[in-house]
Amino acid sequence: MAAPFTRVSRPLWRIITTTTSNGGVRNVSYTRQQWSAQNVKTAGAAASPWALHGAVCVQRLPVVSQDRSPIEEKFMELMQQMELERSLLADHELKLLDDAARMSRKQEEDYDSDEEEDYKDKEIVTAQDLEDIWEQKLKEFQPALRTQGVNQKDVSSSERCLTDSLILLVKKDIGSQKLWLLPQIQWQMGETLRQTAERALASLPGADLKATFLGNAPCGFYKYKYPKDIQKEGSVGAKVFFFKAVLSSHKHLPLEKNSFAWVKKDELQDFLKPEYLKQVRRFIMAL
Amino acid sequence: MAGIVCRTVNRIVSSQASCISSVVAVRNSHWFTSMLSLKTSVPLRAEPKKKKKVDPRREIMMKERLKKKLKRLEKVPPELIPIEDFITSAKSFDETRIREAPELSFEESERRAHLLKEWSRYKRTQHQMEMDVIQEALEAQRQALDELKLESEELYKAAFSPDTDVFPFQHEGPSYTPPNTNYEAPEGKFNDITRVYTQ
Repeated sequence: MAAPFTRVSRPLWRIITTTTSNGGVRNVSYTRQQWSAQNVKTAGAAASPWALHGAVCVQRLPVVSQDRSPIEEKFMELMQQMELERSLLADHELKLLDDAARMSRKQEEDYDSDEEEDYKDKEIVTAQDLEDIWEQKLKEFQPALRTQGVNQKDVSSSERCLTDSLILLVKKDIGSQKLWLLPQIQWQMGETLRQTAERALASLPGADLKATFLGNAPCGFYKYKYPKDIQKEGSVGAKVFFFKAVLSSHKHLPLEKNSFAWVKKDELQDFLKPEYLKQVRRFIMAL
Repeated sequence: MAGIVCRTVNRIVSSQASCISSVVAVRNSHWFTSMLSLKTSVPLRAEPKKKKKVDPRREIMMKERLKKKLKRLEKVPPELIPIEDFITSAKSFDETRIREAPELSFEESERRAHLLKEWSRYKRTQHQMEMDVIQEALEAQRQALDELKLESEELYKAAFSPDTDVFPFQHEGPSYTPPNTNYEAPEGKFNDITRVYTQ
């Protein structure tokens, strides 16, 4: 679908800036490694003041293709037209032309059926008849509707907005408030953070969700400090590490309305706190 | 009685005579040995053949020559399997199939040129957005790994290790209409006419 007239090529300045930015990033991480190594040596076996949490970002990927934007529609039509103009006649079209020619010959007065070469006594199924048969067969099939009957605003159903990817949010008590969050749970000794995230998904009350986790590495993190009154010696705040997962099975029972929500990326701001949202938005790709 | 005796005597005498004559005949030719010895034919009684020592070597040489000829035939590289996609079929060169190209008006060709340029701009912005989103996600992941390293080395190593279970990863992509629940696809039969080549 590339335009034949212009070639989209990365301009030179962009290549230079990306290389310099990569160089800058490398420097930062190197100094960080040095600092962390020193930190480990001085701290020794002291536990870090941050409580670790593992969270999971479960995505229900789109089930149905997105609608085309106006320019995409126009371009699609243009491409189809151009391809048709530059193509050769297919077998079916040749048959159509032959049938039309034969029909016109039959209408003439001096029509002699003995002059017909191939079709003397056989039953003729014209190409037009075939087309009609095929159309009939297509009409017999009823596909499912693109916009299903589910209300698009009903946030607890995972069947809403089939064209976009949805993310699961859970309402949880943190301290004194009830907040909407990605499902998270505290890390326990002896397990990796990914196992923590899997446990977070499995421990959701009333939800039987099967998801495939994409890799061992976390995709993002968020750290927050506890309010001053809860802060004790040794616990300053918590760090939450997010892991990405893709929802595998499609049939779900509807979840409780007030504790679960399937949300698109642009609807996240209605549910999440600003600081939290800022970190979460970075790794959720809704293109 | 005497006659019988005479006759037998005559017979004996005549047989003796014939014996003698046959003996004489035997002595003259090599075809007949004595009656007393075993019946043997001439080729059987012939002198044994002298076996040439070169014979087994000649047989071995013959076998080697045949093997060399076989090897030479096998060394021929096998015929290459034709790639069907690269062969333009004869149907493409058929002149009866040429479609009449419609003549485009000036406005139409202008409109097409404008649309193509707009499309390239649209696609460029789309690509830029995609690249930015991907860079952002990668940056977030890198920072998360750095933070994890600050926390604990073991967890960092566990996060850094490759995940073997994730691949092969399969997911049904988006289709035009959502899957129809309780749909039974009709059974169809087809004739597979793909050409299979063996070397």
